[in-house]
Amino acid sequence: MIQWQAVEGEIPFETELIERIGWLIRLRWLAVAGTGIALSLGWLLYGQALALLPLAGTILAIALYNSQFYLYARTLQLSQAGLARLQQATRFACLQIVLDLLALSILLHFAGGIENPMALFFVFHIMIASILLSRRVSFLMATLGAVLFAAMAGFEYAGLLPHHPLPIVEGVALYRHGRYVLTVVGVMALTLWLVAYLTSSISVRLRQRDRELVESHRAILARSRELQAANERLRKIDAERTRFMTLVTHELRAPINTVHTCAELALTGYASPETVRDMLERIKRRTSELSELISDLLRLARAREEASRDEKVGVIQPADVLQSVVQLMKTEADSKDLFLSVDIDPDLPPVRANPDRLKLVWTNLLSNAIKYTEPGGIVAVALKRTDREVVGMVRDTGIGIPPEDLPRIFEEFYRAENARALCPVGTGVGLAIVQRIVENWGGKIWAESEPGLGSKFTFVLPRADL
Amino acid sequence: MAVKGEVLIIDDDPDLCEAVRIALEEDGFAVRCASNGLQGLDMMREKRPDLVFLDVIMLTPTEGVYISQEMADDPNLRDLPVVMVTSITSSEYLGLFPTDTALHVDMFLSKPVSLSKFVEVANRFVRPQKR
Repeated sequence: MIQWQAVEGEIPFETELIERIGWLIRLRWLAVAGTGIALSLGWLLYGQALALLPLAGTILAIALYNSQFYLYARTLQLSQAGLARLQQATRFACLQIVLDLLALSILLHFAGGIENPMALFFVFHIMIASILLSRRVSFLMATLGAVLFAAMAGFEYAGLLPHHPLPIVEGVALYRHGRYVLTVVGVMALTLWLVAYLTSSISVRLRQRDRELVESHRAILARSRELQAANERLRKIDAERTRFMTLVTHELRAPINTVHTCAELALTGYASPETVRDMLERIKRRTSELSELISDLLRLARAREEASRDEKVGVIQPADVLQSVVQLMKTEADSKDLFLSVDIDPDLPPVRANPDRLKLVWTNLLSNAIKYTEPGGIVAVALKRTDREVVGMVRDTGIGIPPEDLPRIFEEFYRAENARALCPVGTGVGLAIVQRIVENWGGKIWAESEPGLGSKFTFVLPRADL
Repeated sequence: MAVKGEVLIIDDDPDLCEAVRIALEEDGFAVRCASNGLQGLDMMREKRPDLVFLDVIMLTPTEGVYISQEMADDPNLRDLPVVMVTSITSSEYLGLFPTDTALHVDMFLSKPVSLSKFVEVANRFVRPQKR
């Protein structure tokens, strides 16, 4: 089984392999205990007939290497997860199985060799190898087991190794029967290969399934993180929208209330014809302001929407746009007796923008400058180039912006107090629109001002030719 | 007609001030208008009116609340009747309205307020004066 909390950042089966190594070490303790008990029983029953010392020594050796394995497995468990650890664990598992096969062969050799039915235990080792390791290595281990078994049986048969008879089959020297030895060795080899084949077939499939599970779990985790982030974004947008709606409802409701009250006064019996006329004038002005506010709100909504969607942006010449705006605004400046100076750098690089929206940016900035500058003042427009940007500037010698209002003038519906005093008409949305548009194009806008001396609005747009 | 008393209207909407002013004057009140809270405070300190109609949402969403607290802290203005005219109780700004402090307010009027209501309330708070 795979532990889910261990899945992230780990290679599938790494955890599994390390867990199984621990399990193998525990099994080996059982094997040590089991063979120890079997040896004790054998010694009690048969005494001297058993090769006690070599057998006990081998069991002790198994116990010794197993304690070393136990320590190593713990350091492995604590080390950094990753490919290096997976390779380490694989090599470690191989070493254990090779040693186990050797140990089993030695035990068999000292306890009757081919005559000992415990030779069947080779099957367990190959099963374990097939569970832990790749199919190729499982076959190699099966081959190694078969070779060790064959070597032991062969050497004993040939007399190159002494035979330690098993007391239970006294008097029958099966190990000397060539055909019997050959048959047993052959069946053993075939059994081990078959076990390797069957077990690894199952474990390969299980591993495949685990891998799919881990991958789908990872995909789910990644997806859920994406969703979380998207959710967070939406939450912010929603909060922003609520704040905006709050502002909008107040900005819309206040003038409607006033219009209502003015109409009420006009309708009372005591209102003089002059009062009625005055009230109707006010109603007319307020309703046209309201309609202007609604247009501004629509423009702002469009600018906001375009922030999340691609508007029609093309590579355009900023100078052309400014020229056409200046032509339009010139009459307005003239009628207020303002000097309008225009300074455009020759051969300006193009910018990525929408000409209509850029026109709106200039118009808003210029009409503000004209609106808040007393007759006789100066409004200066400039379009310059720098290494990386095109810089637009609108400067005026108007009333300026008080420092406490300066940080807030780009907020929706925010109007500086002196601006309200000078010009009660205005929605306070123009600069918010301008800022949205400029930032949509990867630009920036800021304002500097000294009250009484004038204001300067600067925006930069990245060059489109870089 | 004898002047009933003086009402100060503090509201950033000049048209609303004008309409209410005309209606109250028609009913015999003297009326002054202030377009923001601080101006209103100055005016009532300069000459104490008999009643204040105070708008809540002006430059900030709770400017009126601030002004009423300023009045409560001023011994000369503490007992001056204040009628808060607001859309705040029905608006999304409700959350901004302080609930932890006792407001120095004698009455709330929820916008929109009809002119007859302004007149009625003014008559209720301004006692007839002997001149």
